[in-house]
Amino acid sequence: MGRVRRTFDIRAQPGFGFIALLTFFGLYLPIAALVVYSFNGAESLSRWGGFSLRWFVSAWQNSTVQDAAIRSLVLAIWAATLATIAATMAALATTRTPPYPGLTFKYAFINQPLMVPEIVTAVALLIVFSRIKVWTGYTGLGYLVMAHTAFCIPFAYLPIRARLEGMDLTLERAAADLYATPWKTFRHVTLPLLRPAIVAGFMLAFVISLDDVVITEFVKSGGQDTLPTYMLGQLRRETSPEINAIATVFLVLSVLLVTVFFFVNRRKP
Amino acid sequence: MKWKTKAATAAIALLAFAGSAAAEGELNIFNWGDYTSPEMIKKFEDTYKIKVTITDYDSNDTALAKVRAGGHGFDIVVPSANYVQIWVKEGLLLEARPDQMENFKNVDERWVNVPWDEGRHYTVPWQWGLTGVGVNTKVYGGDINTSAIWLDPPAELVGKINVAPEMNDVLFATIKYLGGDWCTDDKELLKKVRDKLVEAKPKWLAMDYSVTEKLPAGDYAAVYYWNGAIMRSRAKNPDIKFGYPKEGFPYFMDSVAILKDAKNVENAKLFMNFIMEPENAAMISAFAKYANGIKGSMQFMPPEMQSAPELVVPPEFEKAGEFLATCAPEVQQLYTRIWTELQK
Repeated sequence: MGRVRRTFDIRAQPGFGFIALLTFFGLYLPIAALVVYSFNGAESLSRWGGFSLRWFVSAWQNSTVQDAAIRSLVLAIWAATLATIAATMAALATTRTPPYPGLTFKYAFINQPLMVPEIVTAVALLIVFSRIKVWTGYTGLGYLVMAHTAFCIPFAYLPIRARLEGMDLTLERAAADLYATPWKTFRHVTLPLLRPAIVAGFMLAFVISLDDVVITEFVKSGGQDTLPTYMLGQLRRETSPEINAIATVFLVLSVLLVTVFFFVNRRKP
Repeated sequence: MKWKTKAATAAIALLAFAGSAAAEGELNIFNWGDYTSPEMIKKFEDTYKIKVTITDYDSNDTALAKVRAGGHGFDIVVPSANYVQIWVKEGLLLEARPDQMENFKNVDERWVNVPWDEGRHYTVPWQWGLTGVGVNTKVYGGDINTSAIWLDPPAELVGKINVAPEMNDVLFATIKYLGGDWCTDDKELLKKVRDKLVEAKPKWLAMDYSVTEKLPAGDYAAVYYWNGAIMRSRAKNPDIKFGYPKEGFPYFMDSVAILKDAKNVENAKLFMNFIMEPENAAMISAFAKYANGIKGSMQFMPPEMQSAPELVVPPEFEKAGEFLATCAPEVQQLYTRIWTELQK
């Protein structure tokens, strides 16, 4: 017949539904199973023994889990805060100046943690921080905060930069025309407009810090297990559904934060 | 609003940087995750007024890498038997002479002159175990003290076998079964080993870690696996029996050592002596479910462990057990090739 399709619609491609379904199953079925078995009454990861909250209770009462969870949160707050401050400054510096040679290099430099394999960063930090630990004798949480801040920066930087690039420059120009100093312009015009992106960047950085295993495992000093490294350590012996319960809480927290990120980011000023 | 923010910031700052200074009365233990009895630690803390911090690792290599780099702040580490010599050779361990400590008399003679620490100048036993055979006797009633259970399985067991996915354990038992010795580079024999494994594998159902669930439930009728897991399976299903492969089976042991750059050497020595006390060693076993190598600790264990045939090696099989030495790299390469072929 030779009828030409007017618009290209990916959903009309043959097999789209099947592949989409397969992907959803592949991605979400294991997670769904993990969540379901966290409510298992029996001490089993494959046999159902009735609905129960006992693993949540036992995880909640496990003081090692409590310590690790608090440490994870403290670390994530520190790292996300520092990373967001650095990322905001970097974003301003790379969008509010006329393009100059070396700018692309700076983009790449800021986003370096996205490119370099995590294990490389981890080993490098292990070597450097070990030296510093020997010299200074300080073995506190500062190293983890530094390491996490470093790899969180690009995650906070990207949404903030995107926002700055999309913002209407006339407002800032108007402020300048009305004799506002650069600082006042920033304080009263740019920053309020940027706030949603900053919050979004913070959330993203927070989740990234909360989830990290590899770098944390290499950089941590004595007594600095975070929730993910604690969970990793449990795997040598057979795991009980308590790990599922912890993972479920972890998952809900992450999803919650990402959802907030989504809504904050979508809101128009 | 403002004071709240300030208070929160202050609290976070305190949380973050508290506990970084090395105060007196501390002990930093670097151990496998989920392996240290909290009750035992509590008792140690209360007895000596020492604050214990436990940090987990998930492999011998991670632990070695972190300690080798320095600045780790740990006092005690618990490496596996085949790693202890690496630690000693690299000068990472303190020669703490546990053999001169008060409670050393409690260490079972079998675990004193071990190949990785002759006379125990560096380490004391933490937990040991072995890889053996577990069979559901409802399915198969014949002799189970042999590797034939999984290498030449009787018809009843074909298709219902699980083998531990550990290269050294599998190759060791097969080499022994065919009359060789560990670390052999006899190509003729190794060819037979490969053929035997390739021939046996189709008769297995799986090579994975879910034995404590699937053996008692009847999904597996026989396993070649670690004794602690088979003991826990038997607790759920009394039809399961443990067998010691008479041709040869591998032992494993993790031992407690003090690091050379430990800050709390005296406390670490107290800890070493403490865990050689039968009652305290029993607490470790009750938690980790393996035997500990301390004489007289059995009577302090939970009743179901005291008479466990998995933990007490019968004298006639004692000679069949062996600790796996680290083979020469070229031998290791041959073994890895067999293993890779088996994985296909």
